[in-house]
Amino acid sequence: MARNPDDKDQGRDYGQGSNTAWSIIGILFAGMIAWGGIGWLIDRATGSNLFLPFGILLGLGGALYLIIKRYGS
Amino acid sequence: MRVDAVTLPNVLAAQEGFHSPGIGEFEWPCIGPNFGTVFGYDVCLNKVGVFMLLAAAAIIVLFYLAFRDARLVPRGLQNAMEVGVEFVRNSIVLEVIGPKGLPYMPYLLSLFFFVFIGNLMGVLPPFLFPVNSRIAVPLFLALLSWVVFNYAGIKEQGLVGYLRSNLFPPGVPWPLYVLITPIEFVSTFLVRPFTLAVRLLANMIAGHLVLVVFFLGASYLVMNPLTVVFGIGSFLAGVVFVVFELLVAVLQAYIFTILNAVYLAGALEPEH
Repeated sequence: MARNPDDKDQGRDYGQGSNTAWSIIGILFAGMIAWGGIGWLIDRATGSNLFLPFGILLGLGGALYLIIKRYGS
Repeated sequence: MRVDAVTLPNVLAAQEGFHSPGIGEFEWPCIGPNFGTVFGYDVCLNKVGVFMLLAAAAIIVLFYLAFRDARLVPRGLQNAMEVGVEFVRNSIVLEVIGPKGLPYMPYLLSLFFFVFIGNLMGVLPPFLFPVNSRIAVPLFLALLSWVVFNYAGIKEQGLVGYLRSNLFPPGVPWPLYVLITPIEFVSTFLVRPFTLAVRLLANMIAGHLVLVVFFLGASYLVMNPLTVVFGIGSFLAGVVFVVFELLVAVLQAYIFTILNAVYLAGALEPEH
């Protein structure tokens, strides 16, 4: 992205930090929805109730990996 | 009955007929003809719909008046509107997307002004209701932005390239794509419009409720000579929050527009 790092003003800093926070929340939710959803579908197909919580945890793990990859440096 | 410090004001309020404001502050009856119901909802024009039309009309009129007789050295309204246009052009489009984003500037500019005027209606008499505190408005704008950034991405990178740059982020060991790709899909194509809408909505709902609480409280408290001091205090706090809401109106319009620009930038320039 074409951002000028020297250019600092109050509004933009607020926007930046707030954007990062919301993106991270979005990815965490996306992880739980995606893999929790897959787990739920497996549960429905097999009649068990094990895959939904397992999927949610897996999704959280994947989301954390993605967040660290993208924002952690 | 045990009356403690928390329930005492509520008990007194219930006796004196004070109605605490709630979600009812955001519901408005139909104005004019009703065109039937869809999924149990009335299809009609209400106060919020009228405000939306007024916001759109205000933008058209403002831009027409400002630029119908544009001068090289701007004065008055033209000057004020040029500040807004330059702000969107320089601080949002060029800053976030770069020159590639200029074709999308008219869209982002209209979006900025519509959200801004819609928010401003929350503190501006005689409206005093922020249009964006109804989910339909920000959600529609967010879905529109979803269509725009997907269109831009597919046009720029082709469908396969666009999906690849979004679903397969670079620098990830390939077995992990099994785990990551569904998350990226949900995050980019499903959760994104929703968080965009909720951010704006929640800010406007909270702001409107705060104002209602302080001004309703003030008008109720000044009725009783015992509590008139608190009424004045509540009124002054309300005035402070009106100023604060003015700031929030600009800030949220800016954030909504800049997020649209960030999504467009992501669609136009894949991560390397």
